[in-house]
Amino acid sequence: MDNDVTNYTVIGRIGEGAHGLVFKARHIATGREVALKKILIKNLEDGIPVNVMREIKALQLLRCKYVSISQLIPQIIKLYEMFPRGMSLVLVLEYMSSGLWDMLHHSQQELTLPRVKTYAQMLLKGTRYMHAHYVMHRDLKPANLLINHEGILKIADLGLARLYWPDGGRPYSHQVATRWYRAPELLYGARFYSEKVDLWAVGCILAELITKQPLFAGESDIEQLAIVLQHLGTPTEETWPGHSELPDFHKITFPESAPTPWPELLPGVEPDAVDLVKSFIMHLDINGFTTVHSQLPYKTCQSQL
Amino acid sequence: MFSTSSQRKFWTFSDEGELAILREKHNLNYIAKHGNHIDEYQRYNFFLSPDEERLLLKQYELHLKEFCKRFSPPMPKGVVGTAFHYFKRFYLYNSTMDYHPKEILATCVYLACKVEEFNVSIGQFVANIKGDRDKASDIILNNELLLMQQLNYHLTIHNPFRPVEGFLIDIKTRCSLANPERLRGGIDEFLEKVFLTDACLLYAPSQIALAAVLHAASKEQENLDSYVTDMLFRDAGQDKLAVLIEAVRKIRSLVKMVESPAREKVRLIEKKLDRCRNQENNPDSEIYKRKDERTAG
Repeated sequence: MDNDVTNYTVIGRIGEGAHGLVFKARHIATGREVALKKILIKNLEDGIPVNVMREIKALQLLRCKYVSISQLIPQIIKLYEMFPRGMSLVLVLEYMSSGLWDMLHHSQQELTLPRVKTYAQMLLKGTRYMHAHYVMHRDLKPANLLINHEGILKIADLGLARLYWPDGGRPYSHQVATRWYRAPELLYGARFYSEKVDLWAVGCILAELITKQPLFAGESDIEQLAIVLQHLGTPTEETWPGHSELPDFHKITFPESAPTPWPELLPGVEPDAVDLVKSFIMHLDINGFTTVHSQLPYKTCQSQL
Repeated sequence: MFSTSSQRKFWTFSDEGELAILREKHNLNYIAKHGNHIDEYQRYNFFLSPDEERLLLKQYELHLKEFCKRFSPPMPKGVVGTAFHYFKRFYLYNSTMDYHPKEILATCVYLACKVEEFNVSIGQFVANIKGDRDKASDIILNNELLLMQQLNYHLTIHNPFRPVEGFLIDIKTRCSLANPERLRGGIDEFLEKVFLTDACLLYAPSQIALAAVLHAASKEQENLDSYVTDMLFRDAGQDKLAVLIEAVRKIRSLVKMVESPAREKVRLIEKKLDRCRNQENNPDSEIYKRKDERTAG
């Protein structure tokens, strides 16, 4: 095994992940900048976390595919290699200098409308790429959308990503996704859901990039659901088929409300952009016809943006 | 997809000869490294020969199968298949004298549980192991990273179980065979045995799955040959069909040859292993304990 830490010089610390530190480093032989994600295993009760396994599996799957001309730059962060270091596992990832979370919080002036449009397109390309390979990310949010020196957006942190089968025969954990971007079926405890949970998140992110405000910002899971239903209106069998059969539906009731008109929800946003956000958010069904339907918004995005 | 997978690219070998060469290589490496003090002609009196290693591993594959079968909560088939792949891959590049198969076996199953999303905690896992459970969980967690590294981090395994479902659906829709569900018993039995062979290091999961289906059909006195020639391979060309027929024939003959190693022989090999194994990797040895204390401190 020739891969080991001596091939890299550490340049600085980027931050702290769920399982350890992330460093910026340079691959000595090629000069390539990388991010070293060090996962400390020693004190973890069950050994190497399942999240790490998922991330490795998903990144390998998305990487090993042949890249055709039309997908010259797959919008997914690259995993170059891995190596053990003492009782840690080090993942060597593509280095990304910035991210949407940073821009939203520290440099909003960079998020001009033209830029938002290109980031949105890259986010959609990446999401389509994942779904075409039957990977659902389950934790799309600005903090996981990173941007490199060349302004290319890539989807990162696939620790919750998993393979799914379009037949929807297997239950999944509903404890996924960061609250603000969590689809309502997950908030209602759905165990049978589809890659549409990612599309919901995409809709929330697009809205946030445009308005610089989170679309639905709940302080708790219950408040999150309350805000979503208050704005989209109390669901009916027509607007959201099957919602009343979700595990937690009868545990809590919210006051009846009529939907907030979209121009009010997204004030000052041009109608085409509103339609685009809407096309992702209004995907309210628990397990519909995944592949055919979910292609629609990706296709329309081009013309609307 | 299998066709673009690391399994096909790195872990599917051309023939049994290639496997034998790899296995012999690490046997010789181990002996070269640890056998300097022993006369060249006496070495196999002390060390395991490649054949002895094979026999020992066959025994441990049976243990692996039994362990998974008795596992509580009941383990999905995919976990078992994945664990078998890991176990076989590990010993293509490592000697049993370096890493005792007992320890690697448990680690393979534990890693397979995680990768296949069969969520059990380490506590639940070692509850299935006889003997000192704290020690077992230490060994497993200590070996997990080593195992991943030896697998070259190729964690995703393509098992024959999904292709089997595909074939059954296809047979139900396109064939006149009555009640295809009755093939299941024969298929399961075949797949259980196939993991005791090298088939998964030599053939694609769909080929193994088809061999299982055809085997089960012939047990039911049915013949699916025309399904293969006239439907599956109708447009594929004679050369491709010939490759498939040969693969299916070979897989079935590997399964037919499965037999349990003689108990007495294995006992002697285990005894020999206790003496010639690498004490640095033996959790019961003094040298291991000293090393462990050093890294802990």
